[in-house]
Amino acid sequence: MNRFFTTILIGLLFSGNYLLAQTRTVTGTIKDLTNNPMVGVNVIIKGTTKGTTTNIDGKYSLEVPAEATLLYSFIGYKNQEIAVGNQSVMNVTMEEDIQQMNEVVVTALGFKEDRDKLGATSAQVSSEDLVRSGESGLINGLAGRAAGVRISRSNGDPGAGSLIQIRGTNTISGDTQPLIILDGIPVSNSNLYGEGSSRDGGVSQQSRLNDINPNDIESVQILKGASAAALWGSRAANGVIVITTKSGKLNSKINVSYGATYSIDEINVRHPLQDKFGQGSGGVYSPTSSTSWGDKIADRSGAADELDTSGEYFESDNGNRYYPIISKNSQETYLDDNFNDVFKNGNFLEQNLSLSGGSEKATFFFSIGDLNQEGIIKNSDYRRTTLRLNNTYTFNEYVSMKTKAGYTRSVSNRIQQSSNTAGLYLGLLRGAPDFDITDYIGTYYDDAGNPYRNRHRSYRRYLGNNLNPIYNNPLWTTNQQTSDTKVDRFIVNSEITVSPLDFVDVVLRGGVDSYTDNRVYFFPKGTAGADRVNGSLRDETYTETEYNFDAIARTFFDINDNISTNFTVGWNINDRKRKRVYIENQSFLFDSYLPNFEIAPSITDIENDRRFIRSNRLYSVLGFDLYNQVFVNLSGAYEVASTIDGGFFYPSADVAWQFTELPSLSNLNFLSFGKLRASWGRVGVQPDPHKFETTYESFSYYAYSDGLDIQLFDGGFRLNDDEGNPQLKPEVKTEWEIGTDLRFVDNRIILGFTYYQNKIEDLLIDVGKAPTTGFNNQYANAATMENKGIELDAEYNFLRKADLSMSIYGNFNNNRNEVLDLQGTESIDYTPGGSISSRAVVGYPSGVLYSSRAIRNEDGTYDLDDNGFPQLAPDQGVVGDPNPDWRGGLGFKASYKGLALNVLFEHFHGGDFAERTRFILQNFGTHADVGNEVTLTQELRNVNGEVFGAGSTVRGNIADFGAGPVLLDQAWYTSRGAGFGSSVINEFALNKGTWTKLREISLSYTLNSPGFREKTKLSSVVFTLTGRNLKLWTNLVGVDPETNQFGVGNGYGIDYFTNPGTRSYLFAVKVNY
Amino acid sequence: MKKILIAILILSAISCENLVDDINQNPNEPVDVPAELLLKGMMLADITVQVSHMQRISAMWSGQYKGLTLLYGSLYTYNITSEEANDTWEAIYVGVLNQGRVIRESLPDDGLMQGITKVLEAHVVGTATSIFGSVPYSEVVSDIANPAFDTQSSVYQQLQSILDEAIINLESVPATVSNTQDIFYGGTPEKWIEAAYTLKARYYLQTKNYADAYAAAQNGISSGDNSMKFYPPGVVGNGDSNLLYSFAEARGGYMTSIGTYFESLLDPENADSRNNAKTNEEARANFFYYDGTDGAGEIGVGAQTTPQPLILFEENLLILAEAGARTEDFATGLTHLNELRAYLNSGASFNMANTGGTLLYESYDEADFENGGIENSDGIDKDRALLREIIEERYVSGYGQFIPFNDARRLRKEDADIAIPIPFNTPEITQYPERFIVSQDELNANSNAPDDPGIFSKTEVNQ
Repeated sequence: MNRFFTTILIGLLFSGNYLLAQTRTVTGTIKDLTNNPMVGVNVIIKGTTKGTTTNIDGKYSLEVPAEATLLYSFIGYKNQEIAVGNQSVMNVTMEEDIQQMNEVVVTALGFKEDRDKLGATSAQVSSEDLVRSGESGLINGLAGRAAGVRISRSNGDPGAGSLIQIRGTNTISGDTQPLIILDGIPVSNSNLYGEGSSRDGGVSQQSRLNDINPNDIESVQILKGASAAALWGSRAANGVIVITTKSGKLNSKINVSYGATYSIDEINVRHPLQDKFGQGSGGVYSPTSSTSWGDKIADRSGAADELDTSGEYFESDNGNRYYPIISKNSQETYLDDNFNDVFKNGNFLEQNLSLSGGSEKATFFFSIGDLNQEGIIKNSDYRRTTLRLNNTYTFNEYVSMKTKAGYTRSVSNRIQQSSNTAGLYLGLLRGAPDFDITDYIGTYYDDAGNPYRNRHRSYRRYLGNNLNPIYNNPLWTTNQQTSDTKVDRFIVNSEITVSPLDFVDVVLRGGVDSYTDNRVYFFPKGTAGADRVNGSLRDETYTETEYNFDAIARTFFDINDNISTNFTVGWNINDRKRKRVYIENQSFLFDSYLPNFEIAPSITDIENDRRFIRSNRLYSVLGFDLYNQVFVNLSGAYEVASTIDGGFFYPSADVAWQFTELPSLSNLNFLSFGKLRASWGRVGVQPDPHKFETTYESFSYYAYSDGLDIQLFDGGFRLNDDEGNPQLKPEVKTEWEIGTDLRFVDNRIILGFTYYQNKIEDLLIDVGKAPTTGFNNQYANAATMENKGIELDAEYNFLRKADLSMSIYGNFNNNRNEVLDLQGTESIDYTPGGSISSRAVVGYPSGVLYSSRAIRNEDGTYDLDDNGFPQLAPDQGVVGDPNPDWRGGLGFKASYKGLALNVLFEHFHGGDFAERTRFILQNFGTHADVGNEVTLTQELRNVNGEVFGAGSTVRGNIADFGAGPVLLDQAWYTSRGAGFGSSVINEFALNKGTWTKLREISLSYTLNSPGFREKTKLSSVVFTLTGRNLKLWTNLVGVDPETNQFGVGNGYGIDYFTNPGTRSYLFAVKVNY
Repeated sequence: MKKILIAILILSAISCENLVDDINQNPNEPVDVPAELLLKGMMLADITVQVSHMQRISAMWSGQYKGLTLLYGSLYTYNITSEEANDTWEAIYVGVLNQGRVIRESLPDDGLMQGITKVLEAHVVGTATSIFGSVPYSEVVSDIANPAFDTQSSVYQQLQSILDEAIINLESVPATVSNTQDIFYGGTPEKWIEAAYTLKARYYLQTKNYADAYAAAQNGISSGDNSMKFYPPGVVGNGDSNLLYSFAEARGGYMTSIGTYFESLLDPENADSRNNAKTNEEARANFFYYDGTDGAGEIGVGAQTTPQPLILFEENLLILAEAGARTEDFATGLTHLNELRAYLNSGASFNMANTGGTLLYESYDEADFENGGIENSDGIDKDRALLREIIEERYVSGYGQFIPFNDARRLRKEDADIAIPIPFNTPEITQYPERFIVSQDELNANSNAPDDPGIFSKTEVNQ
């Protein structure tokens, strides 16, 4: 402590400046590393306010006193201090400072600010980090980079969407994803499922943010807290991600850059399966059985199968014939063959070419990018081609403008998955180990010799003797069906800045984001599923356009030497239109592969719907800068939106205090910078549109898989089971946070700490009404939840030498969510359709897993039946929580000359996960868990009370539920012990979901020595090797814990035959000219 | 300056609201439709209540189907939760009752629509109370957020009243009117009146008020043509087809009639056979055979366009027979039973074109029920023997309806001697299910919902 004061005292003593009055002139040229002159570099005589800036040629001239030291500074570059001594020409080369770059943040309104002056937290992800991650989608590149920001991709399919969750769940029924602001205008990040493909089973859908080419991005700013985002009012409750695309630099030569990345992708986890027992049931082989509880394969004779060649048979397109099996003798199994028939190593090649540069008044950035990916599942692919042209032009000192325009075209085929009899894993993993899937299509000949062409041969219909295969053969899934998506998207925005006075800027900014997303699902005749067995063609098109316009006036003035202020007032209008058209046929005239409704005599379903949302907002920000150390911002937005009854006001306030600016603290060696901050704000989530009125609707009734559709009865209506609500308000999230940003020991240690707490009230939910009221639901502001947690970001640069630098960095968040009120509704299902659902339940964190469960005694033990087995409880309830106790990232960076190494781990601690695939495969007898044989050392009972004597060998496992060991055999796994539906004890499907991933390991080498540049005329060449998701540590079996059956949304922690995740090896080269 | 600023702010705020006016009007769904267009939907909801999931479960618990695998394997062994009733519950209250309310409020003077909607209401609420016991009724589809559960006896009373009202409404319109939205009866008032009387009789029977049941059935459904059935168009597949067909298409291998007590009852080779010198059930056994593997394979009761029973002429005759035998005399009961047998013998009761087989239903005479007669080999009382045959016939004629399940519970207390000896589906239990568990949706949202007593608790009228 004494030393502390001593340090302060010494600091105070030497803080005065004593300058001599003799002067002379110094001149020089300032260049960057690429030898380009830099305009606008500040050159200041240290200890004074006197200085100048460089001109267009990078030249400066300054009168300096003797023994002065010059301070060269430019935003984004390292400051340099050079003593003048007796030099008269001082040429300086400025080095870019990545650390410093990050200090500039882009606010919700798209203006650049100094991060150290902000009272609200935000996280940055740099362009390099994004690109180096090797992720084909922009969103996934953000994973593990910032505290409190959770990124999970739905599965490893090329182009699959990803969940972004900032500080936990913030809404129940509203849009769960943060608002994306690209170059100042909101753009769509929708993840729409539509009618053609359902969330619980279909294909994974894309996140529209992944349309943006990561290579075009200059910076990504994640505004986590309510106060930073409040100006976006009712769209900001999930946070705001502000993305800025690249621009050219004024007065620079043309920069040409070409990059190519090649990636090899592999499946990262496989479900373990058994191949000891054959297809059948009760230990008896059956070639049509759904399950593999058949005979022991090793006990078969090994001879050829005995066949009935007298009548019907199947002849595959490869010419192989299959006859009815009389006796199964072959011991062959096909687990790996079948797997390899449909999986392979995926790959992508990404190429980017960009040109940028600028004259005195204009800059440009042009890029063209192409990503061409083949997924790990055969025939899955994704190709994204992007174009971008960003221009700025300065007319004069009063008027400047910029225009940024991007175009994306993406084409993708993804494979059907999840709860879906035409899905890949469902048919593959349920399939019998002794069934060879290779011959999946051919001609069936009946006893009379009549041919039936293009029949689908599956493990339950091994002769193809029925049009309906029950489950798809996986090869049919990958080869015969298609789910094509084509997207065309334009994002254009323009901005004019008028500065009529020194201290006033007027910005007019307008933009359009418009895309068409067309999906064509094609299921040939003979595809599994009642609605596809006769062939089905589904054509669905989304068109969405968002217009946005802001008029903003900003003024800055100093009230006195110590107090300056800035004031912003703006008006925004935002208009969103979305249209969907869906056409479906379920019965083809003939066995065609033409994806056109010409082959279909009738239309089964046709839907068109539209969505209109318009809002306008008046907003204002008042900022104060006090003594250059305390910064206060007050803001408010008054918003009127079409979806809301009346207007709504969103205030916020934040304060930052750079306490290290205090004279007494300013010269501490160990503490280079310190800031305390606090903020408070209010943001919202808009109600869904068109919910004011109770409508009449078309409908169908399904009590269980047997529908009655009014449209097939010449149409009709019913009064909607959802009651309208004309009094809708936004969901309102009120959040406060306090925190500090500290930098120690010459910025070697950087620490950011935040505690936040929010409460979200008036959450909109379909309040489950008692159906006896005549309505099932009413959409209403009814629920409340809260989040709180700590965010910690840290970096320690423990080695910093001229050529060598090493640092570790990390982040931590322990968000705690609790659903406080659902207005009497016991639970809200985020994932309808599954036997285990992810729900909101009062008193629990949002997203808890909910299902049938075992009856328990008061002490928590199972209430067992007479045979010692758990019993099915009559009601369902919460069985687990998929939210982590905490999450974190830990990384290591090192650079030595041109070499750079980056390693990033991500950890997810705690949380439950429903391994439904495993649970169902146990029922089907195909999972490795149920391939065991046990020799009993004592007499045991099975669930039916059958007794098995000591010494007998039985297929199954031994378990003890509390009343001594019992035998888990087919009787258990095919009744309440495994499987699906509400009559099995689904809680047994849960497992602990803790995981750690080696998210990234990358090594790059940059060639840019003067000799190299001289020889090649290139400014640099960078080689990068990256491994992505190379290693996974988890208790879960067979599944990547990040995959989610339900894709992007509030419901997670459930796997159900969901397509697997991937790991990737990438090699990249970038050539800069 | 300040004033101008404030004025600008206020003006902007006002203009704000104008900019978004009317944008939120629903562009996708109408907010007003002619009330007649709701009628067909009520009927589809009614079908969903009567001949879908709940009915199949009830039949699995009554020896008529076997659940083989997955959900149906579990349900078959009496593992059921409150979730199973959700869709049925919605069909009852949202699909039928609330739509009926709208129609009746919109068309107060339309006697036909008033009457039809009341009969449909009575149809679903009657099924609801019979299988669930105490259910909400008197306070439903109103502004009451938590409708009370009425006692089962009170619900039955209210049903008699609403059916009486329906009959008055239907009698007030000309007999010649018609309505194309009515997919059951084409809007013929006479058929609806008869259906209303049969329902009255059904509910009297369920409450063991046999005298009133007999009286009501006198005016009940008077011919096979007047039976209320669901005639599936069966053009597309799942969505417009026989529900057993759709079920087999979607859930092949879940459920079958093979190996059931019902099958053995019709099988002449089986010890349980009900075939005798005057009765050949071959055609019915063929027709009622439900393989359940896939829809296309079904040619009888589960074929794509086979009509499904809602309220049948057969039921009315058997109510007359049972209630007649109980409250009038043996001869009355026998006469009505023979009326049914004559109808069966005519071949009009079901379409045997695809399933074939022989049928024979000669009239029984009194001697057949006397000690040693073909319907009384075990020498019980003649009257009981007749009732036993009537009940057994109800068990067969009632295939595809709730009748077997309802009869089993009704007869368990006082008439066990003549009830169908339904086997248990698992050795684990010693009691039969007595009811269904109320919908989880209702339990979630209705604070007046009582704790569910479970499936083995008897409902009020069967206690």
